[in-house]
Amino acid sequence: MHGLLSWILWMPIIGMLGVLLIPKEKTSAMKWWSLVNTVITFALTIVLYCNFNQATPGMQEAFNVRIPWIAQFNIFYALGVDGISLPMILLTSLLFMLCILSSWTQIKKSIKGYFALLLLLQSTVFGVFMAMDFFLFYVYWEVMLIPMFFLIGVWGGENREYAAVKFFLYTFFGSLLMLVGIVALYFATGQTENSFNILALQGGHFTKLNLEIFGATVSFSKLFFIFMFVGFAIKVPVFPFHTWLPHAHVQAPTAISVILAGVLLKMGTYGFLRIAFPIFPDSAKYFGPAIAWLGLINVIYGALCAMAQTDVKKLIAYSSVSHMGFVMLGLAAMNVQGMNGAVLQMFNHGTSTAMMFFMIGIIYERSHHRYIVRPDGSRGFGGLYTQLPVYSIIFIIGMFASMGLPGLSGFISEALIFLGIYEKFTTITILALIGLLIGAAYLLWMFKRMFFGDVNPEVKDYTDMTKLEIGYMIPLCITVIVFGIFPAPILNIMKASVGQLVSLLATF
Amino acid sequence: MYLNYLANISRYIPEILLVGLMVGLILIETTYKEDDKNKRYIFIAAIVGLIATFVSLVANLSGKPEAIFSNSMIIDPFSTSMKMIMVLGTLGSYYLSTISKDVYESLKTEFIIMAVGILIGGFILASANNMLMIFIGIETLSILSYVMASLKKNDERSSEAGLKYALYGGISSGLMLFGMSHMFGVLGTIQFSGMAATIATLDKAQMLILMPSFVLFFAGIGYKIAAVPFHMWSPDVYEGSPTPVTTLFAIVPKLAGIAALIRVTMIFFATPGPLRVGWVGLVMVIAALTMTVGNITAIGQKSVKRMLAYSSISHAGIMLAGLVMINEIGIRAVVFYAITYLFMTLVAFYITSIVQDKYGNDHFDRFQGLIYRYPFMAVMMTVVMLSLTGLPPLAGFVGKYNIIVALINSRNFTLAIILVLNSVISAYYYLKIVRLMTLKPQESNEKIEGFGFLNQLIIVAMTVPVLTLGIFWENVMAFAGSAKVFIQ
Repeated sequence: MHGLLSWILWMPIIGMLGVLLIPKEKTSAMKWWSLVNTVITFALTIVLYCNFNQATPGMQEAFNVRIPWIAQFNIFYALGVDGISLPMILLTSLLFMLCILSSWTQIKKSIKGYFALLLLLQSTVFGVFMAMDFFLFYVYWEVMLIPMFFLIGVWGGENREYAAVKFFLYTFFGSLLMLVGIVALYFATGQTENSFNILALQGGHFTKLNLEIFGATVSFSKLFFIFMFVGFAIKVPVFPFHTWLPHAHVQAPTAISVILAGVLLKMGTYGFLRIAFPIFPDSAKYFGPAIAWLGLINVIYGALCAMAQTDVKKLIAYSSVSHMGFVMLGLAAMNVQGMNGAVLQMFNHGTSTAMMFFMIGIIYERSHHRYIVRPDGSRGFGGLYTQLPVYSIIFIIGMFASMGLPGLSGFISEALIFLGIYEKFTTITILALIGLLIGAAYLLWMFKRMFFGDVNPEVKDYTDMTKLEIGYMIPLCITVIVFGIFPAPILNIMKASVGQLVSLLATF
Repeated sequence: MYLNYLANISRYIPEILLVGLMVGLILIETTYKEDDKNKRYIFIAAIVGLIATFVSLVANLSGKPEAIFSNSMIIDPFSTSMKMIMVLGTLGSYYLSTISKDVYESLKTEFIIMAVGILIGGFILASANNMLMIFIGIETLSILSYVMASLKKNDERSSEAGLKYALYGGISSGLMLFGMSHMFGVLGTIQFSGMAATIATLDKAQMLILMPSFVLFFAGIGYKIAAVPFHMWSPDVYEGSPTPVTTLFAIVPKLAGIAALIRVTMIFFATPGPLRVGWVGLVMVIAALTMTVGNITAIGQKSVKRMLAYSSISHAGIMLAGLVMINEIGIRAVVFYAITYLFMTLVAFYITSIVQDKYGNDHFDRFQGLIYRYPFMAVMMTVVMLSLTGLPPLAGFVGKYNIIVALINSRNFTLAIILVLNSVISAYYYLKIVRLMTLKPQESNEKIEGFGFLNQLIIVAMTVPVLTLGIFWENVMAFAGSAKVFIQ
């Protein structure tokens, strides 16, 4: 089993090399090859899930990989998996597989480059979720920017270049601050040897360390918690670092929006869970209320921004800001319910928001615009419900899952988060509930304007979903419904690891 | 006495080879007729000569460090590795000069000969162990550089570049000489070892008197490595000079200056004291300014060569940042950085030069849609630009990373943060080229003759180190680590 993680990590790279070797004209061969590749990766992650021992907290011995990379500097190619990263790995392999299917007909130019970059992106995302060496983590975190830059920049919408550059610069800025933190941790005293080992760094070894900067004494832990926080917060994105997100989401092609919202945003919160919180538990505790307030701003502000949008993709983009705010609230709670809710919300938001972005991509294929209300004031859509029944039903499932309706996946995670946060911050809980209400409002209002009312003449020409489109929406529908009723398969695998983190935080 | 003087002369073979090569090349050149188009032998001779020099440098590397010529030159692993990088840079600019249209056909041999001269200057500078040798090295470098810059003699900008370079160079050499004479006045010797010994006996007030002369000395070296505020000449010279000359300027004089600065720093400022504090403060401020000014001015540029000039200013700033700790970790990081800088600069200038030859100018727009015509070249340029930005897993990242490690190891967080913020700024203008090449539709379907199979192969071969040094850098790091400065 020791090789399994490496196989999952490198399988997409094998796929990428294959795509590059296929001649330019044979586009369908490339598509099939990519699909087979992602299906194999997905199967491997299922094998990983089946062999995962739910009772063990922390890294699973059976899967650990630790090979020296740059021995001179104690840099290792170290991979591991625990209950926090496994749901993310599952989500990644599922969404990438579906994204290949969704790109099947939607991508028309430079197909070779697109699939190669998409597979490269998949590998780097796996790398972030598996890396147990800080240097390796950083490398994957940064390499991810390269395929993303081109995927948005080449295959995106009209304003794609601006969006790609903004995305790149923002993330690059955050991660470089993180790099300074990584190197500082490497040299920090309190350890036996200089190391990038994430597990060895965890546990709050830096609580008493101070630094002299311009004569002032600064707490090492607090200073570098802030550095890491900014790095991860840009990715989440936490207000006020969110401004890259609407551009990137709107300009990116459908599959990339799905990846961006479904997986990449989770890298930020995963960073908190894996790195910022366990390494600096004292500072995490100290800044807990601030994180909760920022999360609350995300929830309310994101929801209000979403309400004001006339572009349906931008609306969903802002709803991501709002929903990631819930994750931040769950993290700030730092208790069993809140943390479990946060990790579950990371998974559930991944599936539900992916559904929404897929659905928008599907309607865009037919309408070639995304206006709920056109700039001239007329309605962009209307009466979709009578014209496209299958589309409407799947859209409703996705929307209600995203809204957090009981019986669908979003409800359970949000309920857990509220249970957790109520113990700690009562005011914030009440205010966040208002955010939930606004969330329901903007989604329903959008639904009303698009699906009900008079049938727009244009809409009459639209065809309902094709078999392929239904094909890649079904797995997501099943996921949101099954995990809405029976979340145990996901909750059980994370419970032990999250419990360990909570008990670590509780000691500070 | 004479025998004593010539002791260890065998360690001096690379320099002797180069001088012999230069004279030999001049002799070969005279055998050609005035209108002879095919001067292939002189190129072959030059390349063979440089390879021989490189081999003798490699042989020199393993020997124990030694001082020669009555302790006025030092042959140690540090100087030898810097020389190796410089030889590779010169080799790179040689090939570029043969394919470039920027150097007149009739002057190509002159380029080759003068480049050897510049290399000799760089060698002297890297080994110099007294003030006189530093001055001789700088002047050998400079005087030939002035001529090289105006090699395109019918071109106004090239002539301007030569004159500007000469004027700035004259003033800064004067300043440096003034600083040196003042040092001689205070310390009574120009030998580094003697100077350092005398400095150790000085009291605080005397040290303060010495500080201004070190600042003046820095002006001379700072001008060679184009550190802010002595950088004003560099964009104009880089833009005006023929591209192969610019390539040479970006590598040899810059690295030679850094090498001399490192030796001076290690000899005079290794012991704590007011002089060290002053010097470290000076280098820190200059490094921060060099990085920032270089990067910010690069943003607005329209010419790729000019942009690369400013970017090379900022890279000099990063190398200077590796100097402020005055310890081996810093030196190691700088040597590694120099190696990565060599390959990145060569590839960037090769591609720019070939594109410029086709269109007659190097405006950013000429790169538009390159990926649709020459996908390999566009990908290589992208790799190099991202590497210059400092993105893993490319060589430029590891270079910057090592500098950051050195900075943070001695708790210099301020400079580390200035460095990373500068990387973000630089990302903007490096991405500009990437954006134009890959995201924009192509301007025309014209073929660029320069991108023949052989040239593409050479460019790809030079990009390979940029890729591999980002992942497998352990051995090269060990090499850089073994490049220790020897003090005698």
